[in-house]
Amino acid sequence: MRHIRSTMGIPIVMVVASLLLVACSSAGSASTAPSAAASTAPSAAATTAASAAPSTAASTAPVAGGLLAKVLAAKKLVVSTDPNYAPQSFLKSDGTFEGFDIDVATEIAKRLGVAVSFETPSWDTITAGSWGGRWDVSVGSMTITVPRQKVLDFSPPYYYTPAQMAATTKSGITTLDGLAGKTVCVGSATTYQDWLQGKLQSVSLGPVLTPPANVQVQTLDTDQACAQAIAAGRQDAQGFLSASTVIDSAITNKTPIVKVGLPVFVEQLAVSVDKSGPPDADFMAALTKIVNDMHTDGTLTALSQKWFKKDLTTPPSP
Amino acid sequence: MTVQAARLDAVPPIVLEVEAAERRHAVDFRIRFIATWVAILGIVGGFLWITVGVNLPFLQEWLPFILGGIWITLFISVTSIFFAVILAVFGALGRLSANPFFNGAASLYVSIVRGTPLVVQILFIFLALPAAGIVVPPLPTGIIALAFNYGAYLTEVFRAGIQAVPSGQVEAARALGLPESTVMRRVILPQAIRIVTPAVGNDFIAMTKDSALVSIVGVQELLWRAQAAGRPTGQSFQTIIVAALMYWCLTLVLSFFQARLERRMAAGDRNR
Repeated sequence: MRHIRSTMGIPIVMVVASLLLVACSSAGSASTAPSAAASTAPSAAATTAASAAPSTAASTAPVAGGLLAKVLAAKKLVVSTDPNYAPQSFLKSDGTFEGFDIDVATEIAKRLGVAVSFETPSWDTITAGSWGGRWDVSVGSMTITVPRQKVLDFSPPYYYTPAQMAATTKSGITTLDGLAGKTVCVGSATTYQDWLQGKLQSVSLGPVLTPPANVQVQTLDTDQACAQAIAAGRQDAQGFLSASTVIDSAITNKTPIVKVGLPVFVEQLAVSVDKSGPPDADFMAALTKIVNDMHTDGTLTALSQKWFKKDLTTPPSP
Repeated sequence: MTVQAARLDAVPPIVLEVEAAERRHAVDFRIRFIATWVAILGIVGGFLWITVGVNLPFLQEWLPFILGGIWITLFISVTSIFFAVILAVFGALGRLSANPFFNGAASLYVSIVRGTPLVVQILFIFLALPAAGIVVPPLPTGIIALAFNYGAYLTEVFRAGIQAVPSGQVEAARALGLPESTVMRRVILPQAIRIVTPAVGNDFIAMTKDSALVSIVGVQELLWRAQAAGRPTGQSFQTIIVAALMYWCLTLVLSFFQARLERRMAAGDRNR
């Protein structure tokens, strides 16, 4: 019996030792607390944003149990982002994120007086609402559309992009109509998918062109996945539709595509909050003020110049 | 002159020669076995090196990030197997129980969890439960799904292990007047654990590979990191192979320790 007990002791000790070893060595990067921080990038992103300045929203006490109260109490704004959506957001080799949306989110958190941390859920779960409190806001270049407004609350737009069609150089297509009957790659649950399927319900700030007839839609996880598939030599799609910023970035990275036709629509991109989450009226008021301030004091323009080399934060004149 | 009396337990020379020949043969086999591994890996690896190439600057930049995922993979596996074993003990006792309710509940658990794919179970916890108001963050989702899944398979293993304990042990314990719970706790389970340890070890090693599925809900473990590094940069060839090699190395290391554990546990059974 003693022999058996000591051999039972070995696996038990191994299990406990492994647990302790792994928990201690990964204390920074793999938090075990069942909070929203379970899969966030290491805290480098958080330390850059925290400031002790009183928040602009603290002039009136936040509603108890509301989203603003939750964020201020946790001293952290959890933002959903995409690790593969350059130049808006992308992952660096040290595990932190970088990009236009990342900078905007960091600035918003700073103005709320809290730290920022990032989650990476899939885009279609973000646009569907019912986030379950896993993250507080989405700063992910989300277009304001009628279906999305049913489940999400939107801030004022923080920038605007034209949606640009591109065709692979191999396909030889040079006009929008040349894509009739062909396959176009888009990110899943994007407004580009909606437009191709004739279901776009957003307020465009420019003319909305008609999609090519009989176009086949190929959806991948995210827009950049389309660019990467084309760059890898995949021939499934002859076209690629996304924000002009993404198309420009792909062309700069020598993806074999060419722009085709005029922008097919212009979208307003905003920060969104889940309607089914905690009451967010005061949070949205604070967020609206912050976004408007960032427009008037030039922060958004500066960030746009930094990442897109042009100012996309003023509404294009129709 | 000394006369060496023949010892009664001396081994005949022919037996020594045969044993030496067997050892030489075993060593030869081992050497050729390892040489075959090296040759095949070398040829395949060399071919890939020449055709696709190794992107050293990329690996230098991203390797630390990717390898950091191993800790999370290990954490998930260790935590999950721990809870799976606990579930399996209760499940096995339920399956062996004379009480129809425990038996029915345990059997239903085993049937449903073995009858649905692990990926479906992960997505169920992550995507479906929120509709019922239960929102589980990604990392606990993975652990719970793996624990439930492997708990069901291990239930059957434990049940077989308990049934494999020699009935003479149980009869003797009862004859000694030990109460039934003591019989289970002190006689059956310890011996059953020795019987099932190889299977549990195997499942733990298998679980380290199944933990890769947890990347679909966003846990930043080894496979997630490999994809996050490879897809945007077009270097998936490098990253997927690195991830595969890491899982393989993990398996080799864990198998080595499992073999040692099994040898240790069986020490009482070998005749020395």
